[in-house]
Amino acid sequence: MLRSDPQARAALKAPAQVVSLRVNGEWREIAVKPRVTLVEAIRDLVGLTGTKASCESGTCGACTVLLDGRPVVSCLTLAVACDGMEVRTVEGLTDGEKLSALQEAFLEYGAVQCGFCTPGMLMSATALLERDPKPDRETINKALEGNLCRCTGYNGIVDAVLAASGQTRPRKE
Amino acid sequence: MILFDFGYERAATAEEAVARLARLGDDARLLAGGTDLLPNMRAELAMPATLVSLEGIACEPPRALADGSIRIDALTRLADLERAPLIAERLPMLAAAARAVGSHQIREMGTIGGNLCQETRCLYLNQRHDYQFAPPCFKRGGECCYPFPRNKSDVCWSVHMSDVAPALIALDASLEILGAGGTRRAGIEDLFSGSGLRPLTLGPAELLRSVTVAPRPARWGWGFHKSTVRGGLEYGMSVCAVALRLEPDGRTCAEARIALGAVRERPLRSPKAESLLAGSVLDPARLTQAATAGAAEANPLPHHGFTKRHLSDNLKIYLRRTLEQALSRAREEEGAC
Amino acid sequence: MQSELKYVGKSVRRKDGPDKVTGRAVYTQDVRLPNTLVGRILRSPHPHARIVRIDTSRARALPGVKAVITVEDTKGIKHGFVETPRYPPDQEVLARGKVVHVGEEVAALAAVDALTAQRALDLIEVEYEVLPAVFDPEEAMRPGAPEIHPSHPKAPSGLANVGGTTATEWGDVERGFAESDYVREDRFDCQLRTHGYLEPHVTLAQWENGKLNVWTSSMGTFVKRAKLAKVLDLPQSSVRIHKTYVGGTFGGKIDLYSHEYCACHLSMLTGRPVQITASREEIFNAYRHSQPLTLEIKTGVKKDGTIVAQRIRAINNAGAFRGSGVVVIFLAWGFTMIPYRIPNLKYEGFSVYTNNTVRAPQRGHGAPKVRFAIESQMDMIAEALGIDPVEIRLRNARGPGEKLPNGDDTHRGNLSECIRVAAERSGLLAKFGRDRSQPPKGTIRRGIGIGVSAYMGGTLIYPNGSGVIVKMNDDGTAIVLTGAIDIGQGSETVIAQIVAEELGVTPDDVKIISSDTDTTPQDIGAWISGMTYVTGNAARQAAGNAREKLLQVAAEKLGVRADELVAADKVVSHRLNPELRMTYREVVASSIAKRRGDTIIGEGFWRTMRDEPAHPSLATTRGRWTENYAFSAQVAEVEVDIETGEARLVKAYTVHDCGFPINPALVKGQIDGQVSMALGHAFMEEVLVKDGYTLNPNWLEYRMPTIHEMAESEDADVITEQYRVGQPYRTKEVGEGLISGVLAAMGNAVYDATGVRLRSTPFSAERILEGLRDLEFQKRKKHKEVRA
Repeated sequence: MLRSDPQARAALKAPAQVVSLRVNGEWREIAVKPRVTLVEAIRDLVGLTGTKASCESGTCGACTVLLDGRPVVSCLTLAVACDGMEVRTVEGLTDGEKLSALQEAFLEYGAVQCGFCTPGMLMSATALLERDPKPDRETINKALEGNLCRCTGYNGIVDAVLAASGQTRPRKE
Repeated sequence: MILFDFGYERAATAEEAVARLARLGDDARLLAGGTDLLPNMRAELAMPATLVSLEGIACEPPRALADGSIRIDALTRLADLERAPLIAERLPMLAAAARAVGSHQIREMGTIGGNLCQETRCLYLNQRHDYQFAPPCFKRGGECCYPFPRNKSDVCWSVHMSDVAPALIALDASLEILGAGGTRRAGIEDLFSGSGLRPLTLGPAELLRSVTVAPRPARWGWGFHKSTVRGGLEYGMSVCAVALRLEPDGRTCAEARIALGAVRERPLRSPKAESLLAGSVLDPARLTQAATAGAAEANPLPHHGFTKRHLSDNLKIYLRRTLEQALSRAREEEGAC
Repeated sequence: MQSELKYVGKSVRRKDGPDKVTGRAVYTQDVRLPNTLVGRILRSPHPHARIVRIDTSRARALPGVKAVITVEDTKGIKHGFVETPRYPPDQEVLARGKVVHVGEEVAALAAVDALTAQRALDLIEVEYEVLPAVFDPEEAMRPGAPEIHPSHPKAPSGLANVGGTTATEWGDVERGFAESDYVREDRFDCQLRTHGYLEPHVTLAQWENGKLNVWTSSMGTFVKRAKLAKVLDLPQSSVRIHKTYVGGTFGGKIDLYSHEYCACHLSMLTGRPVQITASREEIFNAYRHSQPLTLEIKTGVKKDGTIVAQRIRAINNAGAFRGSGVVVIFLAWGFTMIPYRIPNLKYEGFSVYTNNTVRAPQRGHGAPKVRFAIESQMDMIAEALGIDPVEIRLRNARGPGEKLPNGDDTHRGNLSECIRVAAERSGLLAKFGRDRSQPPKGTIRRGIGIGVSAYMGGTLIYPNGSGVIVKMNDDGTAIVLTGAIDIGQGSETVIAQIVAEELGVTPDDVKIISSDTDTTPQDIGAWISGMTYVTGNAARQAAGNAREKLLQVAAEKLGVRADELVAADKVVSHRLNPELRMTYREVVASSIAKRRGDTIIGEGFWRTMRDEPAHPSLATTRGRWTENYAFSAQVAEVEVDIETGEARLVKAYTVHDCGFPINPALVKGQIDGQVSMALGHAFMEEVLVKDGYTLNPNWLEYRMPTIHEMAESEDADVITEQYRVGQPYRTKEVGEGLISGVLAAMGNAVYDATGVRLRSTPFSAERILEGLRDLEFQKRKKHKEVRA
């Protein structure tokens, strides 16, 4: 019997807690109820909507952000658990207006169609390249297996990651 | 989105976490990586009043003990386990098992302890019940079983899906369990109750602290396979983890340990298959015979849309293939000596 | 001529790319309005039940609940995917009197936050009287089956739950079968599949000063506006659908959805913005999926493989309302008759109500199932006749200039050429049958197979035509107003290329304002495979119209004839004397100075089949369907482990005739995406439904391909049309037709690898193993007979 008494639950006090996050280099202080997930906090409280909410159960990767450098699904991360941590989102990938090499490659190699998986895909791929600047195909597969894309068939995405790591496959005309 | 409120407390040490659990009682749950607990909370399969977070507890990297055993902090994230040079070198089967879990993000979040302590799964169980299957099933405290309507109220045929558990069983790992009264040790197999209703034997205020694996003997080899429809982002259709130790003749099996996951309410040993191997000369026919026996004795529950027949077929083939892997590794190792 | 093209025919980068890689792209879920309420839908827990009583009073009384609606609060105006005299609208926005599928919308509410909304849902009391339900279409058709809705008045009498029929024939099939050398009959089935768009269904509605502002994830804002205005009983000018980026649709976001209506109505009641987001579970449990078709096909051929006659019976499990079910049974005929010449054909299709969720189009809208069935049978026939799979297809394939039985024309389309190139590129005949005749060591078998398809490009359905406006700016750059919606296919990029080419500016000079129903012209939408053709030609015309005006003004100023001038690189100059020139900036200034303030605005409009009054009859197939047929031949190479039954697509070859590719990189993106979706269909995807309840409402157990399954995808374009500045052009379909041939090819390749012929998708390991066992059993039986 895992479900507890709803009356007791209604009486429960679950006060908001103040959490400090360093989001894309900027410290932010937000007050969140424990049930608020990181993706909700980033989108609704910090106001960065580049991170996408899709399945909200860790099965698509659209909400992937880097938490202290690790790619995590922010839908299965409680914001209260991130106090004092660094969060990097898709908005933090550009250097001013300048796109990162990975972002450029995504555009050049047809890794983007509807774009909804793109922010999460970019964050997973960024984490990959930071750890392994010249990943082989199997490493790319393992790094991006948690990011679903329904548009591209992944061909453009693999090409883009290879290109961004200087392993360009000749582009077919 | 989790649609109920709960409290959140941080524990700075494992002892403090246990003390908090003891104080808060049954309504509290430990939160480590959260990759199993939070989806279950979202589906309202678990509705704890308080989460005791282990986030603040320092996690020790895997290290070799004086006797050559390897101790792994239960809070070790699966991705760190997969990448740890010590694990890659000394316990490659565990690295392979960790690498087979979920997706990259899930491995960066989930811990080895959490993977062992995950809830059992069933298609009916693992979804919100707003309008589908509204009356709760046995596991949710109700009076029915959707997939097996004739089940008795104390039987829940949900399946334990851990990929890591079979590997640790094949490695004969032991556990350090912290409770209010101090630390106790247990064999990994004792962690699992075999009941889908309460799959773990941990007490209400107990915490899995570490996993220890004794050094590998000579002429030892392993095999691991997780069957999935897709390459990743999946729970297993079946998981085989096997370990073989050979006699000095390099042909006769001294000891076999076979563990299967994603088959029943708990990860299983295959005693018949093991006994067919131990003491026998390992030729292809013997491996096939053992694999066939192992698949038969596993008696897998149909789960996640797969039929029992197909699961048995799959186990039979992959058990044989993992035994072949293990044998070839054991022989290679002998050659290297 | 083609070498003169600067931007059209080139792989210009996506216009929307920078927004999408930086997180700046605003999707519907990213639109934030102050004071927004959370909307939720109360759904039916039963597949079929009478609603005895609904009591919303306790929910209304809960603090924080701002409004609750049931069907009694609506005007009772019905809507439907199809709205014709034969098939009038059949669905209300909320259930009235009874529910017909699990998850059907019964009530809706708006509250201050998600928790309050959830609590309020639990407080709505609904008393149901459960009715017998039926889920299988063939059971549902039987006399005496539980009646979900009365059969269509024109359905064959005695059959229950028939929502619609399509029947057509030409020639004399019975005589055709009698004249055939070989006749066979097979039955093919298909699993329930879904679209799998990453962005969930979400709608934000804001009622303000008599105007309803709506942001909703869709495939065509003008269709949404028309349907919303109708069910809300508002003038269209009072409803504005705003542009947002769309995170994937694949057919699943056309038509009107209840949550869209509810968000609007709740906003009108509360005076506050209301947002309703469907959870992924709701999308799986309650929203629309693809159409599972069952096909019975009898085909008669001559010894050389020439098709003489074909009889097809299609049954669609249409779900609980008409949805697009009556369209798919029409399309199933269409996808039958295009690729091959069939002198005698008899087709009948039934769309049958069942207590499943309503169906929607899904990429290919029936074609994957139809082509899988027909192409599988073609290979079976070829094998029986002892001819190869390429030969039998070439024997029957349509070429250029053929008239189709419905009056359509293949123009320069050439399926034979596609087949020839595909066979050659893939080395099909050299590889075919190899592993069956000489099994390699180990358990892996490789197989190769081919499948062909053809798809229409744009047809007539509301709103039937597209308009585009090109506004010249003072500096010679241009703003394009188009209703075209970019769902990821790249319509904004393609339109910018066309406008740049026609206008003599760069694509960067062109900024697109799109898919806003108040500020852009009407558009057909991104759901009938016609945007590059229909909206693209409108854009071409609008840009051409602006160019002509530029030339005219410059001619007057320079004192020469307009036809002596050319426009390029934002300069108008004389053909023979380039010194005689004006920049666009100067031309625009001159126009404003000399022509009573005229700025330069070009307009263009396009409609497919201008001589055709309306879309073809869904019931009889009479009337023309399209002016552009795209043909394709696809080859698949698969690997099967004959011990485990596990199979995967290794490589796909796509040879297609898309007419002329405006942007080859975008075409390639469509091909790769379709190959991926097809391999999901072939090997892994299935919505598991039991008694109307969905067992796997998530992406763990509804398995869409991951990066691990990525198959190599090679393609070649059989270009049959040209693009010339100032001339109408033909582009053909490329966004959904290429999912079908490759699916069939995978089935044929599995057969080639294993000898197992599967008549149902998906080709799961279990089915392949069963097939292998059956083969083994047959072999042993034969062996025994021989020995006896």
